[in-house]
Amino acid sequence: MKPAVARSLMALATYCLGDSRREWAHAMQAEFHEAGAAGRQLGFAAGCLIAAWREMPRHAEGRLILADHALALGLLVPVAFLQFACAIGLLSGKGGVYGMLAMGGTEDPYLAYAQFSAIPVLLMLWLLLGAAHLRLAWALLDRDWERVVQAGSLIAAAALTLVIMVEVLYLQAAFLGSVMAVMVIELIFVTAASRLHGRVSSEATLAHSAW
Amino acid sequence: MLLLLQALSARGRQWCHGYDLMKETGLMSGTLYPLLMRMTDQGLIEAEWREPTQIGRPARHVYRLTTAGVAFAQVAFEPEAVPSSKAAFA
Repeated sequence: MKPAVARSLMALATYCLGDSRREWAHAMQAEFHEAGAAGRQLGFAAGCLIAAWREMPRHAEGRLILADHALALGLLVPVAFLQFACAIGLLSGKGGVYGMLAMGGTEDPYLAYAQFSAIPVLLMLWLLLGAAHLRLAWALLDRDWERVVQAGSLIAAAALTLVIMVEVLYLQAAFLGSVMAVMVIELIFVTAASRLHGRVSSEATLAHSAW
Repeated sequence: MLLLLQALSARGRQWCHGYDLMKETGLMSGTLYPLLMRMTDQGLIEAEWREPTQIGRPARHVYRLTTAGVAFAQVAFEPEAVPSSKAAFA
């Protein structure tokens, strides 16, 4: 158990050090083997992780990793859970759609039928939005821009469908505003992150070519 | 930093490994490596890769003071230099 934890800590330290400190990460890895021979792997690995964390704000790539994690954990994951909460709320008592309809949403039986029929689709859309946000957060941390674009497109399509359905069936004008606001905020932050990545990677390429 | 500087200056221009420096100075890896990185960036320490002595082990980094590092260590470990100059002015 202990060696596995130590190896995980070392892998995390290597990831946090980034490409600009890759050589130092290899140097730490080499000494990690020496620390292992002395039975001090865990303490050594924990120290390396602390060193990597201390080093992160000092270089562009580290700041980028911190920004990505802040965006993923501070915005995308909470929004994903908000979507899941909306899906659960859809089914729950007074706060949900059933409750809303029961409280006198419409007296037109055809509209009421359409609204009830739409609930499974809305549920799926909200779950899809939540899952897509988690996928977007994961892709962002992986710096896989192809997957970021895929997840972003999926979110846009699902959100647009959701907005149209809610607007048409339930006449919730405020809903459109809140969903669009969240989407715009996400778009701004993800675009900023991708631009920052582009700038840092081009700087790194220039630095490598200079060598 | 002084501990590290002391340990490296005691070895003169001899190379040493990171883990040996940890044992010698008592510094933890979380303190030692940021210092090594910073001092290397500042040109006080030079680092080099060495082939492993045992099969299956990775190449290791070795460190030593640069000429600038040696000069810096000399100034850092000569505190008498400042008071004596003050005395000369007195």
